[in-house]
Amino acid sequence: MRTNLVSCLALSAAATAAIGAVSRPATNPGTITGHVTFTGTPPKMRPIDMAKEPSCAKQHSTPIMTESVVTGPGNALGNVVVYISAGDQSAGAPTQAVRYDQKGCEYIPHVAVLQVGQPLEIYNDDQTSHNIHPLAKVNSEWNKSQPPGAPPIKATYDKPEFIAVKCNVHPWMHGNFAVLTTPHHALTGQDGTFALEGLSPGKYTVTAWHERFGTQTQEVTVEGGKPATADFVMKATPY
Amino acid sequence: MSRILWGAWAAGFGLLLSGVEVCAAQTQTETHFGNLTGKAAAGKQEYRRYCVGCHGPAGDGNGENAQWIDPKPRDFTAAVFKCRSTPTGTLPTDEDLYHSVSRGFVTTNMPPWVPLTRQARVNLVAYIKTFSPKWQAQGPGTPITVPPETPATPESILHGRELFQKMECWKCHGPAGHGDGPSASTLTDSKDRPIPPYNFASGSRFKCGETNPDLYRIFMTGLDGTPMPSFADQLQPADAWDLVHFLRTLQPLPTPEAAVWHAWLPTHAGQLKPIGPPEGQ
Amino acid sequence: MIDWPVTRRSGYRWARRSALILGGGLCAALVPSVAAMTPAHGHESAAAILTGDRDRTGYEAYVVARGGVLPVSTRSALAAHKAAGIPAFARKYGLPCSACHTAWPELNAFGQRFRDNGYQLGNDRDSPIWVNPSYIPFAVRTTPQWRLERTTHQPVDAVPGDPASGTVERTITQSGFDISGADLLMLGTLYKDITFGFVPTVEDGEGVGIEAAFVRFDNLFRSPWANLKFGKFEMDNMLSEKRSLMLSSNGTFYQSYHFVPVGDGTDFGLGDNQIGAEWLGHSANSYTRFSLAVLGGTDGVPGLPSGKTYDGAVTLSQAFDAGRLGLQRVGAYAYAGRRPTVFETTGGEPIGGTGTDNRSFYRVGVVGDFFIGNFELLPLFMHGSDDKDLAGGSQDPTWNSGLLELHYYISPQLILTQRSEIIRMSQQALPATSENLGNIDAFTFGYRWYPIMFSRAGLAFLGELSFTKTIGTVPLSGAGVGLDPLSPDTAVKSTSVLLALDFDF
Repeated sequence: MRTNLVSCLALSAAATAAIGAVSRPATNPGTITGHVTFTGTPPKMRPIDMAKEPSCAKQHSTPIMTESVVTGPGNALGNVVVYISAGDQSAGAPTQAVRYDQKGCEYIPHVAVLQVGQPLEIYNDDQTSHNIHPLAKVNSEWNKSQPPGAPPIKATYDKPEFIAVKCNVHPWMHGNFAVLTTPHHALTGQDGTFALEGLSPGKYTVTAWHERFGTQTQEVTVEGGKPATADFVMKATPY
Repeated sequence: MSRILWGAWAAGFGLLLSGVEVCAAQTQTETHFGNLTGKAAAGKQEYRRYCVGCHGPAGDGNGENAQWIDPKPRDFTAAVFKCRSTPTGTLPTDEDLYHSVSRGFVTTNMPPWVPLTRQARVNLVAYIKTFSPKWQAQGPGTPITVPPETPATPESILHGRELFQKMECWKCHGPAGHGDGPSASTLTDSKDRPIPPYNFASGSRFKCGETNPDLYRIFMTGLDGTPMPSFADQLQPADAWDLVHFLRTLQPLPTPEAAVWHAWLPTHAGQLKPIGPPEGQ
Repeated sequence: MIDWPVTRRSGYRWARRSALILGGGLCAALVPSVAAMTPAHGHESAAAILTGDRDRTGYEAYVVARGGVLPVSTRSALAAHKAAGIPAFARKYGLPCSACHTAWPELNAFGQRFRDNGYQLGNDRDSPIWVNPSYIPFAVRTTPQWRLERTTHQPVDAVPGDPASGTVERTITQSGFDISGADLLMLGTLYKDITFGFVPTVEDGEGVGIEAAFVRFDNLFRSPWANLKFGKFEMDNMLSEKRSLMLSSNGTFYQSYHFVPVGDGTDFGLGDNQIGAEWLGHSANSYTRFSLAVLGGTDGVPGLPSGKTYDGAVTLSQAFDAGRLGLQRVGAYAYAGRRPTVFETTGGEPIGGTGTDNRSFYRVGVVGDFFIGNFELLPLFMHGSDDKDLAGGSQDPTWNSGLLELHYYISPQLILTQRSEIIRMSQQALPATSENLGNIDAFTFGYRWYPIMFSRAGLAFLGELSFTKTIGTVPLSGAGVGLDPLSPDTAVKSTSVLLALDFDF
């Protein structure tokens, strides 16, 4: 009788997941930490010529480099989105907005990681207009102009997807939105390290995504109180 | 007792799901325009006769002839459309699609299909919508309101000119609208194919119509899938009409706006600041 | 992917059925008969002698006048050269054949508008400067075939080889592999709103002819109501003979378009390309169309062979959007002309171009193009009359004709066709002549299967069976011996069977 009630409740929970349920707080939370590195030869990053936009060019004493591959010491790989792709019991979108800036004619951060339904605020901090054009395929693709001084553009996405972002006026500007279902995500810095915190014990699938080098997954088991690790080695190709 | 509960719950949920599915199937295979109802099954016959050569049997724009034509045919599976009356990021209405089919797209290989009966065109619209699940998932957007046009006075045109400068239209379209702005040569569409901005000096019809309200809708909804963004967040309706009036003066056509502007210009040309990069750059 | 296999399977099914129908029809057509011996009618008319073109009476008179014997050739005496689907347009615009053709070469509403607009889509991409430099506006159509022609009551020597043995009537059957001529179709734009057309035809043994050669100025005054065409071209007939879906000797032309009464030397065919000038107007979607033409009185034969007359033609049509049924169109046409009856001569031979003493003739009628879903009906009615002096009689011969053509489009690649046509004289040129001399009944059944339909080339498998019954005269196709039966009351029956590969690239 009791197990039947539990299975009935589980069914209800599954059926109403789309409406959104309160995430269960992790009991005895664990952490998955790791390090993302690469093997092989990555493409060379090139300096960006902003001569066509003098108001941005003068913000950089030396030209900034393209950001599709950001590396660090010891073959560390930055801008890798690491997240729980399976096994995560929590759901629901946080209300804290993720901020995306267009500053000096570049996107800051290069990859904005957010959740399904989480608000995104896009700011234009430059003296020039930008058009913000996220090239979504699963979500809706839209394209809006944002002149200097305009209020932030607010957007949300309701399906998980990795979305390339570009500005058509400034063709060197490239960024990404990583729209995930899970609140357990991290973005590696130049040192390639990440930590996924607040995980209750259980088996998880961890996925690492890089905009050029693809996706890798690992199964990780978190035991109560004990830290778990997952390292990823991406295969770099020069082009 | 719990078994009955489980059963009732599952049955209710199943009923809900099937209800949703039936409704979705209904909207997916039918379309409405005026007093006509278009059926996707009939549209499939028409599509096979008229459209497969370019748009391909899978509706993905990879027809037999697509490799030789530029601009490329529309990929219906992506459900991204240029000519809409609905905001950017939303799907067009049945009427928008019907007009696109009827009008064709000037300077492309998409002909005006007016010789087809209205029923045939409505059937085609119904069939086109079967190529993407987005039609079922979200349906068309809500058309924007186009308020009545303001008079085309020299003040309106002058303000439109200021907006052309401020909104930086010239960066792509060029200071005189010749499609030669600083960013024009690097423009790519959403499939990373090169695409030129509209050249007002060509005088050709716009891809999405030829009237002033059509022009209004172009920059207030954006041309999805192309570099042309929506300015709906940045322009008030009165501003938008001013911009429309100014854009008309860039075309070598005998429009009322051009007449007003060219009458005003000889005595006031000295006041005009050049369009382009701000001074000092 | 698209349901190609379904088409092929259904195509094979229909091919088998058609073969059965053809076989059955063939057996039914085996009806030999012998008629009483009476002298063949002669058709002497000066004008007819001079034309020397594909006109039935002219050709015969020409041969007879030279004391020759008509060759026993079943090559169709009438112009069988056709317009075609033009893959060059498909290559230029990237549209499939079926976009412009119900089944090439017949045009649908969209193709009609394209043609009316001067072979332009109207998207500012029509001018030759937009076209890939390696593109040539050139397409070729030809039709290798197997065919059989059988004609009853043909006058032949009683003893083969012995002209003195007398004349008997026998059924003549000829069959075998054959080739059609080739049409070289060059049509396109020279510049925005300037169209050209040049269609030479090549026929083994007959050399090269010019089927069409014209220039057209489209959208004058930026209006679709003003288009001007000069040269040699097909008239704006709503039921276009050049774009017929039928190709057999007896089935490929409309009897109504070429009929003249027995003994009448008027050289005119409504389906023949004419030389002159035409003003064409159409609405933006070509639902309303009209044309006015002034044409030379030579039935399209160059070289000033006839007189100094001019013919006039008017056509009108209106299409209606009938919703689910499809597009319906009705039209009317009128053609009036004059032909000379007297020539200057030298050494007894008429001098071309000097014809005078002109007499008139006319053809008027109504025509329709109706769709019920995939079923197309094409009815035509005609009333014709020639002057008594052209007919060598004492009163003006008049006649009425009607035809109904049916097309059923199983798919854009498989079509069934059928035509029924009758011509009835209402007044003979000579009161003594029997009422039904020259009357014609004609029936054609056929199918066309397009196994592939790419924009680069077209291929159609064609099967056709056609019957004509002509009272007292040789069939219009010129099949058989090409001579009239011995008795004017004889019903001459002619059957054509055709299995062909029609290709177009």
